[in-house]
Amino acid sequence: MNATAQMIESDNTTVELSPLSCNGIYKCYDGVNVLSGVSLNIPQGAVLGLIGRNGAGKSSLIRILLGLLMPDRGESFVMGEASLKMTDASKTRLGYVPQQPDALAWMRVKDMLEFIGSFYPKWDSVYAGDALLRWGIPGEKTLAKLSPGERQRVALIRALASNPSLLVLDEPAAALDPVARRDLLREIAMRAGDSGTTVLFSTHIVSDLERVASHVAFLHKGRMLLNASMDDLKETHARLALPSSSAQQLQGLLPGEVSRRRHHDGSVSIVLAREINSAWPDAAQWPGARLDVLGLEDLFVEVTE
Amino acid sequence: MDTELFNIQPTAPEPIYRQIMEQLRRLIASGQLAAGEALPSVRDVAGRHAINPMTVSRAYSMLENEGLLERQRGKGMVVAATRRKPQSQERLLGHLEPRLQDLARHARELDLPKKLLLDRLRELLDEDPT
Repeated sequence: MNATAQMIESDNTTVELSPLSCNGIYKCYDGVNVLSGVSLNIPQGAVLGLIGRNGAGKSSLIRILLGLLMPDRGESFVMGEASLKMTDASKTRLGYVPQQPDALAWMRVKDMLEFIGSFYPKWDSVYAGDALLRWGIPGEKTLAKLSPGERQRVALIRALASNPSLLVLDEPAAALDPVARRDLLREIAMRAGDSGTTVLFSTHIVSDLERVASHVAFLHKGRMLLNASMDDLKETHARLALPSSSAQQLQGLLPGEVSRRRHHDGSVSIVLAREINSAWPDAAQWPGARLDVLGLEDLFVEVTE
Repeated sequence: MDTELFNIQPTAPEPIYRQIMEQLRRLIASGQLAAGEALPSVRDVAGRHAINPMTVSRAYSMLENEGLLERQRGKGMVVAATRRKPQSQERLLGHLEPRLQDLARHARELDLPKKLLLDRLRELLDEDPT
């Protein structure tokens, strides 16, 4: 899909433009490639979980997608506009929670929310007030005096109270305890369901993602390894374990091979991808072969190790 | 019926929508969910388990397509009547009931042997209309 086109018409159905997308993004810091040709296209209404190990390039990708960082090569778009030239109207429909929110730290929580709210046409001050109470955050304190977890929650309230049509969260769960994390996930899921909000959130906590994400993207060493709907990913991937006797028969790559690990005893484990409802390669029938379906965490570990 | 009905394991290899479908199939087969019983709303299930509402509605829709659930106005999704097919056939036959009664009466008036009438009717039914 060409992200520069405003709308794409086909057979009388109108495909809405992706709220957030990029093509062939490269970024390098001090001679080290952080992103090497990353493309991503988030469908309208999707909750996309961006997984990657620390240093995989998640934050850089998010900042480039939002026009906060200039890529060396490639292009990115927010709601059809080039990220680096986003209009103010689009900015009011975008909620972004950075990994370490530090803007306006000298202001009192309540004042900051009131000030910020005045810029957003769809600001919900009742929601903001309720959320402060629910999360037990003192509105009279300045942001600088809050704990990191509290500051992250204020940043979340700030993003959610603006009723964004696109919500971008960089490691939102990192500073939150399990109860607050579950609360946040519920909020994300319900926003997507009720208002059709498109959500991108990055995390290295895979189990968070499995609850709410409709789509998953694995970013590893600056490359997009997998990018699919959550259900498809689980239904089309499996791990084939071959004992060393069978592993010797392997010649080249198997059909649909995603990654391969060779163990000390000569056995191998191979992550395979197939088309939905099609068969696994013949190697799954070799003597001693075992095929295991994988949870997301296992899959993530297999392909990134 | 409450949202605790489902036991959802987000980290399992089986996608969540399939977990919901399987659990509903079992609950219906075992009679724990009776025909006509309302399911918890998509929103309630999603909120309770902090999962994506689209996942829940996907499971419900697929079971609706299979005929296990049906959408009822004002009640949302309910367990479909179990003898749905025979019932709908009976209902269809009901449309012919007045004509069948007329036919039977006319046959009696003419004192026609049953077998003669039924054989002819069978012939007519077996005829290919094209």
